[in-house]
Amino acid sequence: MLKLEAVTVRFGGLTAVNRVSLEVPPAGILGLVGPNGAGKTTLFNAVSGLVKPRSGSIQFGGHDISRWPQHRRARAGLGRTFQIPQPLAQLTVHENLVVAQRFGAGAVDEQKLDEILQLVGLAAKAHRDAATALSLSELKALEVAKALATRPQLLLLDEVLAGMESDSKRAFREMLQNVHERFRVGLLIIEHDIETISALCPRVVVLNFGEVIADGEPDAVFRDPRVIESYTGAVPA
Amino acid sequence: MTRRTLATGMLLVALYVGVPLLFGGDLYLMSNIVAALTIAGIALSWALLGNLGGMVSFGHAAFVGVGAYVSALCVMKLGVPVFAAIALGGIGAAMASILIAPALRLRGPYFALAILAYAHIFKIVATEWKSLTNGSGGLSSIPRFPQWLGFDFGSKTGSYFIVLSLVLAFAAIYNLVRRSHYGLALRAMHDSEAATRVVGVNSLLLKGWMLLLSAFMAGVMGAFNAHYINFLEPDYAFGAPWTTLPIVAAIFGGYRTIIGPVIGALVVYLVDQLIFKSLIPSGHQVILGALLIGMILWSPGGMLPPLTRFFNRRAHAEA
Repeated sequence: MLKLEAVTVRFGGLTAVNRVSLEVPPAGILGLVGPNGAGKTTLFNAVSGLVKPRSGSIQFGGHDISRWPQHRRARAGLGRTFQIPQPLAQLTVHENLVVAQRFGAGAVDEQKLDEILQLVGLAAKAHRDAATALSLSELKALEVAKALATRPQLLLLDEVLAGMESDSKRAFREMLQNVHERFRVGLLIIEHDIETISALCPRVVVLNFGEVIADGEPDAVFRDPRVIESYTGAVPA
Repeated sequence: MTRRTLATGMLLVALYVGVPLLFGGDLYLMSNIVAALTIAGIALSWALLGNLGGMVSFGHAAFVGVGAYVSALCVMKLGVPVFAAIALGGIGAAMASILIAPALRLRGPYFALAILAYAHIFKIVATEWKSLTNGSGGLSSIPRFPQWLGFDFGSKTGSYFIVLSLVLAFAAIYNLVRRSHYGLALRAMHDSEAATRVVGVNSLLLKGWMLLLSAFMAGVMGAFNAHYINFLEPDYAFGAPWTTLPIVAAIFGGYRTIIGPVIGALVVYLVDQLIFKSLIPSGHQVILGALLIGMILWSPGGMLPPLTRFFNRRAHAEA
């Protein structure tokens, strides 16, 4: 469904993403990990259209979307969340979803919105102000809900569990699993929490300094000396 | 009948019947009310772009001027009926806004300055295109509003009815846009345009529609004014007051509301002309400037929020 071929992103003299190729099959789940500054979020920004790759191609649903504007990618079924939640702050929680559904999916379906709000646990706060009434984990849930309202085929989740307590993390993980199963939506997940990645992702790609250094099943990848070195800075004995 | 419907009906009766009956004989006062409503219409168009579109414009004089010239020339050169020409004035201003569309990629002060530069270009074109506009000599004897069914729309009261209807129509359009899904998306764009684009909102197109609509409204007001004062020249038609007065009115009244720019225009213009001008005949705008500074410092949301709070408190106290 999503296929990146040799995608390179540069900011002036800095190569943030260097010839990265990866693939997410329809309704598949792929984890994207790596130390801070590895280029994970930049890669998400390239896929969702916030930055332009210098070279390479981004294919989604059989189309080369490399030059598509962001809104067109969203309407094609590419949903994303932001690492720092970006609620549509002047609107209520429900209105956030209305905008996402109306413009991302083409029409407002209140029943579907209710289903999404129930699923992410925000039904009780649907008509509250998105900017002031939500805790961090609720803002993260709203990010997921907004993306879901666009009726995505693939969700790009950028550290949605960051900053949460372990109980919240567990509940959020279960919610993501439900989202995946209920909506048959693919997930591309950036996450530092190894337990979460191992629980959700059958396959993991590791980035370091903008390059893919490992790709495989979580257990094998997290034992890979290059991966351990990228995180600790030391070669394991 | 709800209280809201009743209040709206009473307000309309007061505006369409009460004002002409009470003040119709005072031509000076009526001309000031018409001028204030003209500024109110432009202030609404400015607020539509600023509030819903999130774009602060320093160039609305361009749309006012283009609308005025297009309408006047359509009547004088092509014989188009005045009311149809006013609509064409609005369309002309909307077309002119398409030339400004590249500036939509800019944000904040960069957009404001770009649109200011565009406005200056339109003024130069109107001055230099002498074969069409008569240059700085201007256009005189622009046809006034016609008589219909024995009523003279060219009179002060007739012009008042026209400009009042335009302002009410603009307020209704503004309200419709704000309550629509497009209005929701526009409000959403203020804080994070990227966050709206990634849920499928074509933010550039939406801002473009707001610019087009805002330019149309300002152009219609410019066209109205051309047939009201019957004279145009570039320095007047594209003059800075067509930008500054609506901004002052919108900020004074509260540009985040629909009624704010209208109230602001009426208060700012009428108080200035009827009170401050009699106190200080030359330089009376100084008082207005000081009041505006005070308003921005103590009530950045305009005069409506503190007034609403005051009346709400009184209502609670009486209850």
